[in-house]
Amino acid sequence: MAFFQVNFFSPTLCFNTDINVFIPTPNSDEILNNKKSDYLYNGAKFQVLYLLHGAYGDYTDWMRLTSIEKYAQEHKLAVVMPSASNSFYQDMQKGSAYLTYLTEELPQFVNKLFPISKKRENTFVAGLSMGGYGAVKLAMEKPEQYVACASLSGAVDLCMVRDQIASGEIGGPFRWDDIFGNAETIEGTDADLFALIEKRQKENASLPKIFMSCGTEDFIYPVNQRAKSRLEKMGVDLTYEEYPGIHDWDYWDLHIQDVMNWLPLQNNSVKEEM
Amino acid sequence: MAHIDCSFYSPSLRKNAHLIVYIPTTSADDYLMEVKTDYFEKDKRFPVLYLLHGSYGDCTDWHRFTGIERYAQEKEIAVVMPSAENSSYTNMEHGEAYLTYITEELPEFLNKIFPFSRKREDTFIAGLSMGGYGAFRCALEKTELYGKAASLSGALDQSKLADMPHGRKMPKSYVGAVGFQHDSDNNLLNLLEKRVCEKRELPKLYMTCGTEDPLFEAGESFYRKARELAVPVAYETHPGVHDWNFWDRYIKDVLCWL
Repeated sequence: MAFFQVNFFSPTLCFNTDINVFIPTPNSDEILNNKKSDYLYNGAKFQVLYLLHGAYGDYTDWMRLTSIEKYAQEHKLAVVMPSASNSFYQDMQKGSAYLTYLTEELPQFVNKLFPISKKRENTFVAGLSMGGYGAVKLAMEKPEQYVACASLSGAVDLCMVRDQIASGEIGGPFRWDDIFGNAETIEGTDADLFALIEKRQKENASLPKIFMSCGTEDFIYPVNQRAKSRLEKMGVDLTYEEYPGIHDWDYWDLHIQDVMNWLPLQNNSVKEEM
Repeated sequence: MAHIDCSFYSPSLRKNAHLIVYIPTTSADDYLMEVKTDYFEKDKRFPVLYLLHGSYGDCTDWHRFTGIERYAQEKEIAVVMPSAENSSYTNMEHGEAYLTYITEELPEFLNKIFPFSRKREDTFIAGLSMGGYGAFRCALEKTELYGKAASLSGALDQSKLADMPHGRKMPKSYVGAVGFQHDSDNNLLNLLEKRVCEKRELPKLYMTCGTEDPLFEAGESFYRKARELAVPVAYETHPGVHDWNFWDRYIKDVLCWL
């Protein structure tokens, strides 16, 4: 893997922002152990996973707290890790346009700078907690861009999470009204994933398939259980898994590997017209 | 400009390599002034300047001590700043193969990753002090790769360095590790003569040095040799010493010359 820390001005956010990017390149392990290392050539492109952080986090989390580089190297998968503050991956009513940044500007930016496939079938998004919601949100916002999305311990039922935070059941750093205008009225809007998916279904859009995984001792487990049954009733292409575990990096470091095994990966670079 | 801090495994160095890359992208200025930019057009390929640090330095020097990002943005040129320890950008007799790394592996690698032009006329190399030497060393090694090469305060004639404070401070182990024998390709005066005899098409050369710089004579010596061989060199001197004030000021002249 080549590791790139990129800082650039984002016209969408109107400030400088950081991303971390991994691009598969032959490493000492592959060379010493005679593993496959012929995948980086002129014109080679890579399947790409946009990997989203949770609340309180930023673009450095995944690489600091998991072994994402090692897993992505095994699968020859490029990884792009952006920052979205505590925005819940929205275009904030009073704040920055993270959703537009992540679904429009960032793909164009990384596709220009790095050897990343532009095809839907090679473009994935995943995240944890707030980023689990974000992964499904991005994918359903632009179903023509992503073929699959994955939520780990995701805050996938926004209304339920809002109510749980309001009641003090769980914590959260969200400035709800800055993000949504009036947080009381998000049900049925595009911020409500169930409503958004239903809207896309009515549009006969080809929907990205969804993977959800949650720890059975996680405070967000009831949210995931309820989302599972709702999504299944809606006929969504959903793969749901649960394991013993709580809302922590042990869970995400382990089960991001399930995500990679579930994604339609080539385990190789792909050829693509420039 | 996108500021890109890169780390990857280098087979030619047999260790991880660290470098900084700038690629022109929409700046806050462009955005505010509504400058129309074509950075993201499909077939856009950027000209690229490989920019080399001096002794005691590394890939972070140019961006820490100069306004290189601003200057490169104005010229819409990508900049690649590698690290090469105190190797003088040679394949060290006792050390890593930095010449191979800079002139072979790095361009091939980066061309696979980034949208750089691969044309000779869009590929440049420059550096300061040891990196000025390195720019010419690399340019004369792979004459077909670079359209132009520039030396700022370059240690171009290594035989002039032995007695200088700069030379005396360098760990002996490093001086011994590089290998500057008079008749080797690491002697730029020799190498230049060899390339002229081979009738190779040379990259265009540019030199600048401060008149109070202790390396002034090392540059003059190379320039005399070039004139003797009828190799055209754009040569400028300015009042100044061996410091970042000089390099921050005159890298702009280099960018204008490219």
